[in-house]
Amino acid sequence: MTTERLLELDAVSKRFGRVVVADGLSFGVRQGETLGIVGPNGAGKTSLFGMISGDLRVDTGDIRLSGTSLTSLSTARRVRSGVVRTHQVPRPFTGMTVFENVLVAAQQGGGLRASHAVDRTLEVIEETGLAEHANVVSGRLGLLSRKRLEVARALACGPRLLLLDEVAGGLTDPEVDTLVSIVRGVNARGVTVLWIEHVVRALVSTVDRLVCLALGSLVAEGKPSEVLARPEVKQIFLGTGAAVDEAPGGLP
Amino acid sequence: MTEMATREGAADESPAAPSQVSGVRIRRSTRSSRLAIAPALIVLAVLAYLPFLFAQDTTNTMVNFFILLVLGMTWNVLAGYAGLVSVGQQAFLGAGAYSVLWLAQQGMDPLAALPVAAVFCGVVAIPVSWLVFRLRGGYFAIGTWAVAEVFALVTIRSSALGGGTGTNLPGLDGYDPVTLGALTYWAALAIAVLTLLGSYLMLRSRVGLALTAVRDDDHAAEGVGVRPAGAKRVVYLLAAIGAGAAGGVLAISQLNVQADNVYGVQWAAYMIFVVLIGGIGTLEGPIIGTIVFFILQQTLASHGAWYLILVGLVAVVMALWSPRGLWGIAERFGVHLFPVGYRVVHPEESQS
Ligand SMILES: Nc1ncnc2c1ncn2[C@@H]1O[C@H](COP(=O)(O)OP(=O)(O)OP(=O)(O)O)[C@@H](O)[C@H]1O
Ligand SMILES: [Mg+2]
Repeated sequence: MTTERLLELDAVSKRFGRVVVADGLSFGVRQGETLGIVGPNGAGKTSLFGMISGDLRVDTGDIRLSGTSLTSLSTARRVRSGVVRTHQVPRPFTGMTVFENVLVAAQQGGGLRASHAVDRTLEVIEETGLAEHANVVSGRLGLLSRKRLEVARALACGPRLLLLDEVAGGLTDPEVDTLVSIVRGVNARGVTVLWIEHVVRALVSTVDRLVCLALGSLVAEGKPSEVLARPEVKQIFLGTGAAVDEAPGGLP
Repeated sequence: MTEMATREGAADESPAAPSQVSGVRIRRSTRSSRLAIAPALIVLAVLAYLPFLFAQDTTNTMVNFFILLVLGMTWNVLAGYAGLVSVGQQAFLGAGAYSVLWLAQQGMDPLAALPVAAVFCGVVAIPVSWLVFRLRGGYFAIGTWAVAEVFALVTIRSSALGGGTGTNLPGLDGYDPVTLGALTYWAALAIAVLTLLGSYLMLRSRVGLALTAVRDDDHAAEGVGVRPAGAKRVVYLLAAIGAGAAGGVLAISQLNVQADNVYGVQWAAYMIFVVLIGGIGTLEGPIIGTIVFFILQQTLASHGAWYLILVGLVAVVMALWSPRGLWGIAERFGVHLFPVGYRVVHPEESQS
């Protein structure tokens, strides 16, 4: 098992003052796997992505990609080695069109030149359903399109490890289904996916494995249905799976 | 008209060949930019011919216009794209002026010294960038200002360079005043055109797109693989070269170099003003801003304090009314003279 691990967290700890966002977290993600992450608001899920992507420094512990430590690398270096995140609150380049947003990712993160970058951009825009918005200045997009743009930009970087942070939050059921099929398609191409989501329905239908975080610690880990059935997980979500489903997509 | 646009769509200037993705094309120009090419060339030709048409005080005024234009354009790329809000570009303006002075004192023709002075400022900007790039936001602004003050203090310690009172620029006695005026004017025009062309080509390139992403959200830009530090340093060096060249022209046009003048913080205020009223983060903005500033200055300069009050008022009104400046208003109507963007054109709608 260990040989095919793409990502490995080794006793990662991080706190903001008195708030503990990671408390000796250790777990691995296999190459090609889709891992779902659930947990209550403030559990430290987004912070975890920050530490993997390089936006946040770990206090102690190590994060390794294919056995190589990431912790001393800049965000841009990690992107170029294949670790790419989306943002829970979309951060489009608001003065640039959708096409330009994705193109800059294909050129910089994907390291593609000239027409190769253009082709990747057009493919990704098509795949994420943004083709009709290609020339729209991204500051004018609605929430759904902004979330798609987050995914498109990340895909244009040519990720090996894709970190999705609540990309389904606030979407209607058909929109969630579309998103699920996009993620499945990406995973089918061999991209390893970590997916934070409050919309548990989307996760259960997509992921191979689920972890539950609370207060920066791993509460449960395993098959989605098993994890959600655990009493400690149920207790965290104050009841049944239904309550989990209606948790907000959350613009803080 | 439609027919013409269709043909232009087919003969696209884009470096990208038609994509394999369903024959889609990428267009870099816009209709307004294509229509603007001929008038722009005419304006350039008229500007180049100006010394034959007007007396020297007109060309002298235009030299000041070009100096401010260069400063505005470089500051716009610095602050508007790279997020480097410097109030110390006068460090390089002064360094450029004093480089020309020093080279002239060593016997070099001041006009020939211009490119040397500009490159020298680019070289000086490297160690300065190590220093000021450690600072963020407001500290960066203050830091760059401090650097300019240090440059001024170091310069006035040299009595050979005229100390605090300044000194005349030697080496121009060989020119008759009219020829010198025309040559200075053409040098200033050339520097302005090169700065504009340089900024335009830079912003259209990969680096330019990355910088535009940094302009909008530098953190997210890093998250798609952009290394902002590298791009910012390039911009800082280029801006120093532009300011240095402008400073060299300033020295030649004034025939005199004085530290309080060339290192003065009022230059920073001028650059910021022309960029903010014209439209920050656009190439056209500083051009419009410089024109407006010059009209205000020429018509109101005799009214003393009223001039300053009005200039301040214009800045405040623009900030409130149109944060993207005068050019921001034009852009709402889809006008782009220097299109740096990309447009996806599907085969069936290539006349759009
Ligand atoms: N930069 C920061 N400085 C201080 N505190 C922070 C910072 N970022 C996050 N926190 C705090 O750390 C805790 C974990 O935040 P995080 O965003 O990781 O939670 P989350 O699990 O993603 O929550 P949600 O489900 O609401 O998105 C929160 O209490 C938050 O307020
Ligand atoms: Mg979160």
